[in-house]
Amino acid sequence: MDRSGMRQLLIDWLDDNYHFGEADSKIGSDDASFLDNGILDSLGFVALVVYLEDSFHITIDRKNLNRENFNSVNKILDYVVLRTGGAA
Amino acid sequence: MSLAGLEFAFFFPVVFLLYWLGPHRASWQNAVLMLASAVFYATWDMSLLAVLAGAMVVSFGAGLALGAPSLEEGPAADDTTVRRRRRAILAVAIGAELGLLGVFKYAGFFAGSLNALLSAAGLPDMLPVLRLALPLGISYTTLIQVGYLLEVYWRRTPACRDPLAYATFVAFFPQLLAGPIVRAPGMLRQYGAARLLSPDVLASGAGAFLLGFAMKAFVADWLSPRVVDPVFANPAAYTAGTLWLSLLGYATQLFCDFAGYSLMAIGTGRMFGLELPENFRYPFLSKSLAEFWRRWHISLNTWLFDYLFAPLTTGRSWFRGRAGAGFLVVFLVSGLWHGATWTFVLWGLAHGVALAIHHTYDLWYKGRCRKDRRYVAWRKAGPYVLASWAVTQLFFLLTLIPFRAPDLSAASAFATGLLGFGGQSGLAERFGLQAAACVLFMLFFHLLEVGRGPALKQGFLALPAPLRGIVYGLILAFLMVYVPVGASTFIYAQF
Repeated sequence: MDRSGMRQLLIDWLDDNYHFGEADSKIGSDDASFLDNGILDSLGFVALVVYLEDSFHITIDRKNLNRENFNSVNKILDYVVLRTGGAA
Repeated sequence: MSLAGLEFAFFFPVVFLLYWLGPHRASWQNAVLMLASAVFYATWDMSLLAVLAGAMVVSFGAGLALGAPSLEEGPAADDTTVRRRRRAILAVAIGAELGLLGVFKYAGFFAGSLNALLSAAGLPDMLPVLRLALPLGISYTTLIQVGYLLEVYWRRTPACRDPLAYATFVAFFPQLLAGPIVRAPGMLRQYGAARLLSPDVLASGAGAFLLGFAMKAFVADWLSPRVVDPVFANPAAYTAGTLWLSLLGYATQLFCDFAGYSLMAIGTGRMFGLELPENFRYPFLSKSLAEFWRRWHISLNTWLFDYLFAPLTTGRSWFRGRAGAGFLVVFLVSGLWHGATWTFVLWGLAHGVALAIHHTYDLWYKGRCRKDRRYVAWRKAGPYVLASWAVTQLFFLLTLIPFRAPDLSAASAFATGLLGFGGQSGLAERFGLQAAACVLFMLFFHLLEVGRGPALKQGFLALPAPLRGIVYGLILAFLMVYVPVGASTFIYAQF
């Protein structure tokens, strides 16, 4: 799966669980902070981690798992692409 | 000594002058703060200073071992032996920290509970019940140090190599009694560099301290002996109306006592050029329990979330993806952290169960939202929001009964009294201006965060300094006239 496919999966998950059709417009920029812009709360982050690990068959390293560096569409995609080698 | 006590008014200026007039170096500043913290601690209990020092030596040493070059990231970092060694160091260090807390705080509770169980079965007592003096702030310093060890173990923060900076990070005197619970990534960086004195930061620190002092000394300490303590001491004697009033009074007292202390600690830190983490963010505006716990005692709840809930529910154990079960564990731990009594266990259990129920409801409601977008709109509508707010606040209020009651039977008497099965007594005195001021203060404090409130606050802060000075002066004069000097201790200091 390429990056844009991964992005769509992420947006679909946000729509299904938090924003119901408004995720893309709420995010605005792919660099926008999820926490600062009310895209996800801390519980949402935990659910997202489980979703990403299960969907892409990866293990998210605790080193990377904090609010600062796992906090926007681009940061999340960068990490998933790195771990999957760009394919899921 | 307490931040709200008279001694502090003499202690603080001395430390402040030594800190800022000495060499402008991190080592000098940390040394002054460490010495001041030791003096502060010694005014409570000199003999237990060694316990705190011992705990710091263990976690500092373990941090160094975890961050040793041979065990750090590199070609060998993923080696199984290295991973095992790091895990063993972490387990021993955390075991030592929690073991110390267990001996001082929980040994008596668990031994007493086991003996009671045996006695109910007609068997003799098996364990001696230890009643040890609880070292000041041990519940806070343990969490700070366990958090530091996990951060270093997960390689999210480098090991601290400066013992003075580490000791100050753990035992900085404003946070010693009742938090906020500081975290290594945010604080160690600050202790590693010399702090600068800035008029803006100094003014903001003094303002936070003054607001916190007013909340503690004027609201919390006024309510406690008049509206809360007598009623909780004998709940069966009072009418339902009095019990509801007392419960509301206790919610206000607890908030003003603890949020007030936190603001005083944050303000004191700021006057030394240090930014401690936020601990309260208008919790009485919360519209769900999950939101409430993101606004109340933030430093404890983010700690429990990041170091317990998240690893538990994202790990490979049975808890993976089971948020409800995670809430139960986290709030049972939170209850026990607050105190080694069954009333706190009950309080934690109630919150854990309520959060699990709310989470299940939330999942169900989201399912409806996916099928029918009208559910999304209903959730944002006024009646739904108002009902969510009311249920959340009422639930929190009711769980304060076991939180405050001395034992389960008193909690039960209070709860049945709320339903009208209590006595006939009312409060001894009628309240006038000061009671109204307490209520108005709480209202304004929260209303300043909604609607046009933030703009009004900004408008006040933008007023010319002399005008703001007059307002602050009037507040100070008011406090000096009405607030009894030598305020009582803080509720959260007992935890």
